[in-house]
Amino acid sequence: MKNEKEYAIVMNGVAKEFKVLNRREGLMGSIRDLFSRDYRTVTAVDDISIKIPKGQIVGYLGPNGAGKSTTIKMMTGVLEPSRGELIVNGCVPYKNRTRNAEKIGVVFGQRSQLWWSLPLIESFKLLKEIYLIPDDEYNEMMELYTSLVDLEPLLHKTVRQMSLGQRTLSDILAAFLHNPQIVFLDEPTIGLDVSMKAKIRELIKELNRRKNTTVILTTHDMGDVDALCERIVIIDHGKMIYDNDMEHLKTYYGSYRTLKLRMPGDVWEEEVIDESQTDVMSVISDYQKKGKILDIKLEEIATEEVIKKIYEGVAG
Amino acid sequence: MRKYSALTRAGIMQELQFRLGTFATIFGNLIYLTLIYNLWKAIYASAGTEVVNGMTFSDTIIYLVLATALFNFLEMFIVWDMSRSIQSGAIVLDLLKPLKYRRLKFFEYFGRNVMTFFTTFLPTFIIVFFITKGAIKIGLNIIFFMISVVLALMVNFYIEMFVATICLHTESTWGINIVKESIVLLFSGATIPLVFFPEKFRIVVECMPFRCIYDTPLNILLQKPGYTMDTGLWTMLGMQVVWCAGLSVVSRMFWDISVKRITVNGG
Repeated sequence: MKNEKEYAIVMNGVAKEFKVLNRREGLMGSIRDLFSRDYRTVTAVDDISIKIPKGQIVGYLGPNGAGKSTTIKMMTGVLEPSRGELIVNGCVPYKNRTRNAEKIGVVFGQRSQLWWSLPLIESFKLLKEIYLIPDDEYNEMMELYTSLVDLEPLLHKTVRQMSLGQRTLSDILAAFLHNPQIVFLDEPTIGLDVSMKAKIRELIKELNRRKNTTVILTTHDMGDVDALCERIVIIDHGKMIYDNDMEHLKTYYGSYRTLKLRMPGDVWEEEVIDESQTDVMSVISDYQKKGKILDIKLEEIATEEVIKKIYEGVAG
Repeated sequence: MRKYSALTRAGIMQELQFRLGTFATIFGNLIYLTLIYNLWKAIYASAGTEVVNGMTFSDTIIYLVLATALFNFLEMFIVWDMSRSIQSGAIVLDLLKPLKYRRLKFFEYFGRNVMTFFTTFLPTFIIVFFITKGAIKIGLNIIFFMISVVLALMVNFYIEMFVATICLHTESTWGINIVKESIVLLFSGATIPLVFFPEKFRIVVECMPFRCIYDTPLNILLQKPGYTMDTGLWTMLGMQVVWCAGLSVVSRMFWDISVKRITVNGG
């Protein structure tokens, strides 16, 4: 077993509940809601226990509304857990929000933490002051950035003039600037084109490697997961339903293949087959009875399909 | 402290990005001041005397012109900003900075206030000073005015912050903000000098913190009786300090309790 100190994040039976007003329908209902005391409790995160070692890139996945963001907000100290124990970098985040904030970096793909109307370099200088980054470390980081991306044209652009890709790239650089121990990336590649996605993934990977930064990544893009994650944690309805490394995921679902058949009328039929249960030939012969098969493809199952199976397995 | 002064610098730079806004404000003020001028001219004409409540027509106009300039200078939009960032969920980004949220907001706004001082208040003051040819005495009162204005700025900030904190509970603040704005503008002496208020009402208003924002610094600048070194300057400044301290504690406590129930929308 590892020493507790080697973990960036330790969660022990963490849960978060919200009180939500039961809303009524219609105008009269809305008026009655003004005086209502009719609350129900919603459990957004339910009994999650994980330990994340330093330097690991963890994919934190789950369908929309599964409780990912709530977990991240607890880890960053914005929300207080209703139950359970949560230690980040050796301290309790919500009790020491500002101190915890010095040692973490955050990127939300959908919003920017940079100063909207200022050139990027000014945002960097501000962050340097806010996080009290010493001159030499700041310069070292800027050198590293220059070697990794084409930084010069971005520095003197105001953030509002940037394209989404440039902005996301800048946001990631800003999040790593104070050399945090943990960086939270919430859908960093959302809305980006293929080449920008690749660039961003490359950058995250390189920064993780050079600085040994722990990265918690939430995403709906399995390309991100394939490119970056060593381990994945999947939650749904607030409960943890999977926690293991990527290799395990591949071997566990390795017996799955995707069979694609081109049927008359140029329709591609897709079938995910578990080879330990059914054999591919019997499926093909089933299809043959329906009509002439024009073409056949047999593919390794994509991560996307595996994740889909896990989501559906629990929901269904 | 270095962290926070950097925020002030950023506030100044951001304010400079929106130059057109400054011109729009000046234009809006000209219209407002024309209205004020004619309104009070009518009031003085119907009063039939040169001096009403111890103020001549030009005293009143000087006061109101400077009050408008001071209003542009001190104006903060914390309530709007905060309710918007709570509704969009963007507040989480500020909460994730290694800074105290209230202090972060204060110093960000302070940067803007420094800029608006130079773009709106100072030019207006200089113009009024030369047009009125010596109606405003310049001396130590300028220094006391500066001290008083900083205190006014802080009182204003604490009131703003207190109302903004209500957003955390209601998630909607339009109505509350309108009420706050009306109360502050009326009870602070920004729209009507306090001496024009009916006696009993005035005594009540003078016991409230709002006067610290406009009435106190302006009358110190204009050296009105009751606000000069011989006649109660220290009481007035003392009152500002006391309100400042009191409101700081109350608004901070309210924030500390409220921030716990934050839910942060979106994502």
